[in-house]
Amino acid sequence: MMWKAIGSSVAGTSHAASGKPCEDAVQYCVAKDVNGDEVMICCVSDGAGSAAFAGFASGYATQMMTDGLRMVAFSGAAISQGDIYALAEDIYYGLAAAAERQHVPLNEYSCTMLGCYITKGRAAFFQVGDGAIVRNDGTGFYLPVWWPENGEYQNSTCFLVDDSSFGNLNVVITEGAVNEVAIFTDGMQLLALNTEQETAHQPFFTDMFRFLRMANDHEKVNVLHRKLGEYLDSKQINDRTDDDKTLFLATRIGV
Amino acid sequence: MDEYISFEQIPFGSDNFADNPEPRCPCVLLLDTSGSMGGMPITQLNEGVRTFKQELMMDPLATKRVEVAVVTFGPVTVESDFHTVPNFSTRELDANGDTPMGAAISMGIDMVARRKREYKEHGVAYYKPWIILITDGAPTDEWAQAARQVREGEDGKKFAFFAIGVEGASMDILKQISVRSPLKLKGLMFREFFMWLSASMKMVSSKNPGSTINLLPPSGWTEL
Repeated sequence: MMWKAIGSSVAGTSHAASGKPCEDAVQYCVAKDVNGDEVMICCVSDGAGSAAFAGFASGYATQMMTDGLRMVAFSGAAISQGDIYALAEDIYYGLAAAAERQHVPLNEYSCTMLGCYITKGRAAFFQVGDGAIVRNDGTGFYLPVWWPENGEYQNSTCFLVDDSSFGNLNVVITEGAVNEVAIFTDGMQLLALNTEQETAHQPFFTDMFRFLRMANDHEKVNVLHRKLGEYLDSKQINDRTDDDKTLFLATRIGV
Repeated sequence: MDEYISFEQIPFGSDNFADNPEPRCPCVLLLDTSGSMGGMPITQLNEGVRTFKQELMMDPLATKRVEVAVVTFGPVTVESDFHTVPNFSTRELDANGDTPMGAAISMGIDMVARRKREYKEHGVAYYKPWIILITDGAPTDEWAQAARQVREGEDGKKFAFFAIGVEGASMDILKQISVRSPLKLKGLMFREFFMWLSASMKMVSSKNPGSTINLLPPSGWTEL
């Protein structure tokens, strides 16, 4: 089964009210490796609300990361932790150069970054800051790869530009098939994760993947992609969160 | 083709959300109700507190997340412990007594520390607490200890402390107490101040790369 992916970033109501654009970003693609096998690539980022260039930072980070990961797929080499760190470094120095051009402190480019690179038998996940990556563990159970890192306060976390040695960047490479993954920013955290048990809220993911599994052509995936954007901007979501929110869903399970 | 149309009409999404406690944003109002606040100032302050509640009630998330406590001085009295906005109310405040500002500040800081412990025990996420001092005078008690607690709390990022001086307030002493510059209320624009405060609190959830708190520009109600 081929990968089917949808992903959308939508401005939170508090951003809309204050005239700020959406400062979340998502980029994803299905690349082909040298053997012609599919590689599911995604990167999601949440620009810090009080950073002046947060929107630029999240857009830049997701674009650079997905472009870089596509090159890894073309190269034919198996992905390594070093590949992720090298790309994070490129992004860090890109943002540092932008801050210098604008004559502003680097933390005006604060953003989180999390994503995946999934081949047939091997997957890499990476994350700095909050938000979460949730994967189907193969038995239909949804499992966060890491529990999101918030500081003492709900609105504090760590960011890509905080540390040029990337002490707070988590990277893991897993062997074996990953058939389903969801990635989201902290705007969705309280809806999709149970904070007391530190688990993924199973019914949420079961609901969200149900139709994506059923979609068996591009047109249907496109319909779902549009509906995802509408859903993220719906009253039921906005009553629960005023933050920007991003949700990416990918499955290679069909029915 | 039939199949395509049915896909257009599917109920995509989920309304089965995790049942987490809402993250809380605690706010303590330290209100000067000494004799000099008598007359129009106390009337306008009461009106301002009512406006604060009304404004927060208009925001569905602030309604669930903001918790307000009220301490008056003097004498130092907890008028209302932490309550979410719908459950928060105070009696009509009246003005009499002296100005034990130091004790009131210490009380507010203790309340914030206790509230945080309660959040932690119950697995409730929270935002940085706010302590708002409003006064028209100068402390009549020992305030050096309170000033030290404010400085330590601000340095340790334990809370954010704001001082608002009404006509007659000793701005010099407020400057020595508050790490952030105290602001001077223009006339009796309590209503405008509380509208600004509620609007700032609604914005609190946006993320921070530094230690700054996101405040709206204090326009209209301050003297320059």
